[in-house]
Amino acid sequence: MYHSHWAYFLKKLENRVEGEHMRCIIVGIALSSVVVSTLLSSQDSAPEVKKLRQEVDELREMISKLQRQKKAPGYRKGSDADISINSELARLNETVAELRSELEGNAKSGFLLTGYTSFDWTDAQGEDNEFSGVKFAPIFHYQYGQLFQFEGELELILKEDGETETELEYAAGTLFLNDYMGLQMGKFLSPIGQYVQNLHPSWINKLPSNPLGFGHDGAAPTSNVGIALRGGLPKVFDTRSNYVLFVSNAPTFGVADDGDVVVGASGKTTANDVSKTFGGRFAINPVSGMEVGISSATGKIAEKITVGTDTYNISRDYDVYGFDAMYNVNGFDFKAEHIEQHIGENSASTLTGGKWRAWYAQASYQFTSFKFEPVLRYSDYHNPEQERNQWAVGLNYLFANNVIAKLAYEYNTDEDDDTVNSNANNNRVLAQFAFGF
Amino acid sequence: MKSLLKLGILPLLLAMGLSTLVTADEVKADSINGAQLWSDTCMRCHNFRGPSDLSKRAWKYSMQHMRVRAGLTGKETRDLLAFILESKTKQDSK
Repeated sequence: MYHSHWAYFLKKLENRVEGEHMRCIIVGIALSSVVVSTLLSSQDSAPEVKKLRQEVDELREMISKLQRQKKAPGYRKGSDADISINSELARLNETVAELRSELEGNAKSGFLLTGYTSFDWTDAQGEDNEFSGVKFAPIFHYQYGQLFQFEGELELILKEDGETETELEYAAGTLFLNDYMGLQMGKFLSPIGQYVQNLHPSWINKLPSNPLGFGHDGAAPTSNVGIALRGGLPKVFDTRSNYVLFVSNAPTFGVADDGDVVVGASGKTTANDVSKTFGGRFAINPVSGMEVGISSATGKIAEKITVGTDTYNISRDYDVYGFDAMYNVNGFDFKAEHIEQHIGENSASTLTGGKWRAWYAQASYQFTSFKFEPVLRYSDYHNPEQERNQWAVGLNYLFANNVIAKLAYEYNTDEDDDTVNSNANNNRVLAQFAFGF
Repeated sequence: MKSLLKLGILPLLLAMGLSTLVTADEVKADSINGAQLWSDTCMRCHNFRGPSDLSKRAWKYSMQHMRVRAGLTGKETRDLLAFILESKTKQDSK
């Protein structure tokens, strides 16, 4: 009977709201069930604070008891008992002060500023050498116990004309629903692959430049605005694994200021009248120091077209596939990643779709006896207008593990552009000083 | 692939939500497991940050950040934090 009522209700609901709206409602119901079930199973997230409070209360009680003894009839100042009680009171008061200080250190709510900064010098073929980049990327963390965390990164870059470019790289809150799941909301770095979300900060990246296609408007999506569920999973056959599932606003497709056709896969706060992007990543850690991940997303991509005086959005199919692998063993570090964005066609547009593909493989070695780190990387970037590849060889000096000087040489090739000294063909010497704080 | 992804997300959300009801009570941190995780996990992405690089307070926030970035479970995060804080020397334990 209940089932037939539910079926009738859902049928009625489906008739009223179709397609995208129905999916949103179902996602909403699913998320609500996650939150409600978590609230049902909520536990005290700070038992150590409770324990400390209990200890302080016990000590206070002991102090009161000793003070009562001092007021008892027959009690004499200067007696052995008085000396002993005074000494005990002093000790207890000291312990209470220490515990109070510890309690304050255990505050659930707190704020931390971290981030990274880098300073670049470039000498490219056919151009004068120059101090080519200053980047400052502060990251703000706010945390409430083990329940909630907000983090936001600003990227401040000094441009050629001296103006400062500001970008909100990400700003997302994560509600930790249980040990295996966090609900992330806001603008978050793309979970497709690993480079964009974890390896791009200059104190982490082992070369001064990004691999081809892994920068802004390349083949790898950079960020999403939406919601994600993410976390680590319980071990299966002694193997750790982690996942991300997300729903976000659609990316955009169009012509950039420099005339290139680009996939704008950085997070936006508009749906552009096309359906959402659904995606995820799953990774396993088969052996110590190794992670292998696959990722994918699907949905529509929005393109703004103008007919006469009217401007409106059209949509194309949008699919992304990613594969990434990392292995760190005995000072050797290997990283490889492949990402493809497939853009469908729409006859209403003059632009053609196609495949935006990038991959790279990188190896480096950290000596234990001295602080040098040689690095070698090959990267390849393909889109319907370009076919580029690059070898990069570098040597880093680690003043500390987060204070690094890098020197590198890039051999750049653009298969479709044989113009002498064309930008994409210029080899470059790069130097960078990077610092993570 | 598309429909598989879309269809897959909803049951996964529901299953994971329901799984919170049977989450094991894993409050106590295990610093030995934390040491193992520290050597297995951190250097996969970045150079080691020594326990004395950050204050106790900063480590608490940094580890929660790494929980999201590295896909750690809550228990793994607590284990790692316990190991790092235990490894701090008396001189730098601010």
